[in-house]
Amino acid sequence: MTMDAILDDTSEVKCDVLVIGGGTAGPMAALKAKLKNPKANVILLEKANVKRSGAISMGMDGLNNAVIPGYATPEQYVKEITIANDGIVDQKPVLKYAENCYDIIQELDSFGIRFLKNENGDFDVKKVHHIGTYVLPMPNGDTVKRALYRQLRRARLLISNRYMATRLLTAKDGRIAGAIGVNTRTGEFLVVRAKAVILCMGAAGRLGLPTSGYMYGTYENAANSGDGYAMAYHAGAKLANLECFQINPLIKDYNGPACAYVAGPFGAYTANNMGERFIECDYWSGQMMLEFFNELQSGKGPVFLKMDHLHEKTVEEISKTLHNVERPTRGHFHDGRKTDYAKDMVEMHISEIGFCSGHSASGVFVDEFARTTVPGLYAAGDMANVPHNYMLGAFTNGAIAGEHAMGYADDVELADFDAADVALERERVMAPTKREDGIPPNQIEYKTRRLVNDYLQPPKVTKKYHLGQQRFAEVREDLEQGMMVRNSHELLRSLEAASILDCADMAAHASLFRTESRWGLYHLRSDYPEKDNENWFCHALLGKENGKMVSEKHAVSDYVVPIAEDEKDLYDKQRVAASAS
Amino acid sequence: MPLAEQPSTVPVVVDNDKCIADKGCRVCVDVCPLDVLRISDMSNKAYMAYDECWYCMPCEVDCPTQAVTVNIPYLLK
Amino acid sequence: MSELFEAYGDLEDFEDRLASDDPGERRVAVMELGDFGEPAAIALLAKSLEDADAGVRTQAAVSLGEYDGAEAAAALAKAIVDDDENVAQAAAHSMAELKDPDSADPLLPIVGHANAFVRAAALRALRELRRPDTLKAALDALNDSDAKVRTEAVGVIGFMKLEEAIPALKAATTDEDGNVRRAAVSALAFSQLKTAVDTIIRAMRDPDWMVREIAAETIGKGEGSKEASEALMAAMADEYWQVRLKATRGLGRLKIAEAIELIGPGLAEDQAPNLRKETAAALGEIASPAGRGYLEPYNDDSDPDVRKNVRWALNRISASGAGVSGAS
Repeated sequence: MTMDAILDDTSEVKCDVLVIGGGTAGPMAALKAKLKNPKANVILLEKANVKRSGAISMGMDGLNNAVIPGYATPEQYVKEITIANDGIVDQKPVLKYAENCYDIIQELDSFGIRFLKNENGDFDVKKVHHIGTYVLPMPNGDTVKRALYRQLRRARLLISNRYMATRLLTAKDGRIAGAIGVNTRTGEFLVVRAKAVILCMGAAGRLGLPTSGYMYGTYENAANSGDGYAMAYHAGAKLANLECFQINPLIKDYNGPACAYVAGPFGAYTANNMGERFIECDYWSGQMMLEFFNELQSGKGPVFLKMDHLHEKTVEEISKTLHNVERPTRGHFHDGRKTDYAKDMVEMHISEIGFCSGHSASGVFVDEFARTTVPGLYAAGDMANVPHNYMLGAFTNGAIAGEHAMGYADDVELADFDAADVALERERVMAPTKREDGIPPNQIEYKTRRLVNDYLQPPKVTKKYHLGQQRFAEVREDLEQGMMVRNSHELLRSLEAASILDCADMAAHASLFRTESRWGLYHLRSDYPEKDNENWFCHALLGKENGKMVSEKHAVSDYVVPIAEDEKDLYDKQRVAASAS
Repeated sequence: MPLAEQPSTVPVVVDNDKCIADKGCRVCVDVCPLDVLRISDMSNKAYMAYDECWYCMPCEVDCPTQAVTVNIPYLLK
Repeated sequence: MSELFEAYGDLEDFEDRLASDDPGERRVAVMELGDFGEPAAIALLAKSLEDADAGVRTQAAVSLGEYDGAEAAAALAKAIVDDDENVAQAAAHSMAELKDPDSADPLLPIVGHANAFVRAAALRALRELRRPDTLKAALDALNDSDAKVRTEAVGVIGFMKLEEAIPALKAATTDEDGNVRRAAVSALAFSQLKTAVDTIIRAMRDPDWMVREIAAETIGKGEGSKEASEALMAAMADEYWQVRLKATRGLGRLKIAEAIELIGPGLAEDQAPNLRKETAAALGEIASPAGRGYLEPYNDDSDPDVRKNVRWALNRISASGAGVSGAS
């Protein structure tokens, strides 16, 4: 058999709970579902291999939203997240996360995942600023995936690697019926019937093009191509606040996180070309990114991570973490550039745009039980819109989703789906394999992402957005009518290219809908530069109705943790610039 | 329209003398999140078949014989 | 049709593969045993530690890291004394991931091993297991000739937070090695006994700045006393800004108004930006009008972190009432 040849076959399996995505939230969801009902069938589907897939492939260098008794309270955390998101937050899921995450930290610790502890064996939480204390470093966080995988093997979970889910199946009454997947090595089809489905498919991190031009040199794991966003959309689930893009600070060219929050407690900070601090905002938010962006554009750019004022022993300690965990090739990169942290500042930049609730707030709309608007369909992790939930949020919300989904599955029967849906999907997926001649998926993808950079990157301009939409429509026609693949690996890439184009369309549509500016750089609209609380203090939900993309306003749920008037502008107050002198 | 191949120098390099893929090892191929490594039909050793690398390192770190090196892709190094 | 689900394998099949003449094939089998999931794999892995091929033994030590408990620990205790350095390193790494307290028993005998690397690794593993009956071995290890072993011993003792171990930890704060002293000072943090506090205060005059830094931090987190305040104030004359920063933070947290004159100069423009920020925050914590004079010149500082903390501090001073007369 030639490499990655395409075979023609379909099989069907049944289960109680299907979890799609084996990165961070997915394994936790699958494990919790299985532990809740050991007799039930739980399938974990992953397009790569669960061992090392997802954003935390090489572990994580720290938690930056750990709500640990004695350092922060759930209420305090909810307040901060609410304020950092300009108030557009359903607090219940955030509170639920904050109340549960300490148990999850302890559970992860019991799995053998190492958090930083002081010499008394207590978690060594680091103070970053005086509002709250949430940073817990993980200098040995490189074993996260291994430890998780070990738990899955112990629980005898059904793990299906190298199957990429392409579409969800729904019943006539709208509830979830399962999913369709395709093998990334053989092109074989798989229909999984399930009573409940949990989407844990990560960020849409391959949306913008990195400035290096290397398509896979993305901030997010490049495997996170937004497939979950696209699938949720086509299944009729609502997606919230997609216009609140993810844009992150990073090491220029390397395009990975500089992790100022890990280096920060050691005394490192973000500085301009004069070595001076310039960031006003205390919390990672769109406002902070706007300040970063403005400095880059000003004569005081570029921006750097500054460690050269620290003692060499301190720098050694920081390097140990930065070069072993999360993105360990940071060390290779700086060696190649001959950058010595103790002597040179590290040049930083901002990332390409993406969707990711892990860092911002763009994701599938969920409630405090991780339920989407489709009955039986759940979402957790970077793709579910619990704002700023990071890795610990993926674990915690994944656990919540797993338990709730199993409870749901216990009460319902498998739903029926229309066989024609499977046939139609098969036709869509296989179309590029039937062509003898055409455009390869890498060119379709490159063009989509180049257009995303040209037209969608903030500051957002209405006219540019309209042009972008026209260009996307042209690419879509090419994708649907002219894309060609030669093997199953290219077939995988072609499916990802379709997800990316769907996300580009959603990003444009969602951004045009909200006619105001909000969340700092994330939704900075040049034609509507002001925040408009009167008309836009609400979620914007995007969905698919009668085959068309639509957006609607959705009220922010009543706060469960009240925010006093003078706290609402707490961040604005702190941001007060130096008066001219 | 015929397709043209564009040359690119690949970031992941395998030392064939150390690689034990011919003994049945599939670690690097398995752990790659972008599925870009394959076993060569000719040498029975692992190699990078597709230049689509996130330079994330599991292939290097998990290799039982230290046969794999991940370099930073030329365009961004 | 390709395999739908990951296989779990059966042990008999593994036994066959482990009997292969080819060390490469045995190595691959041992690797896959790591993913077997059930403790039944441990015995096969333990047997592979006797393999003639060092690569197979190394892989067995790695795979054992996926298991926990007395049987896995016993195998690792054997692997770590392997003549091959790679096997020993892999065993040390796996050992550090043990969580089950039962794992402690097979580790205790090797705490007294002739090789310092083995002793340090065994202690590092014991630390997470927190078994009170390992205290004696750890206390003995405080007299070890090797500093790394002594540092690990401090960790084992510190993690248990036992009052009976305080005298030993106090003694370790005068160890000849800086890392041991640093660990010991930090390990005493749990104790609020006056004698322990006195020891930490003494460590604030340590020749190593990193020991002074951790001592200042530890004192600053404590309940406070006249002696503690005096020591923190004395640390404000330290030549390292890192130490002064921790002292500043502590004096702020303990709200020591007498220290304002010592803290205030930390805001000067020639001071490290990190210290300037901390100074403003500490003056805000103390919230005494005496801090106002130090803060006011920097209300519009060009450093946003300094400026924010200065304004926050001035607000707190005003809000505390005492500063009302000075409000402008």
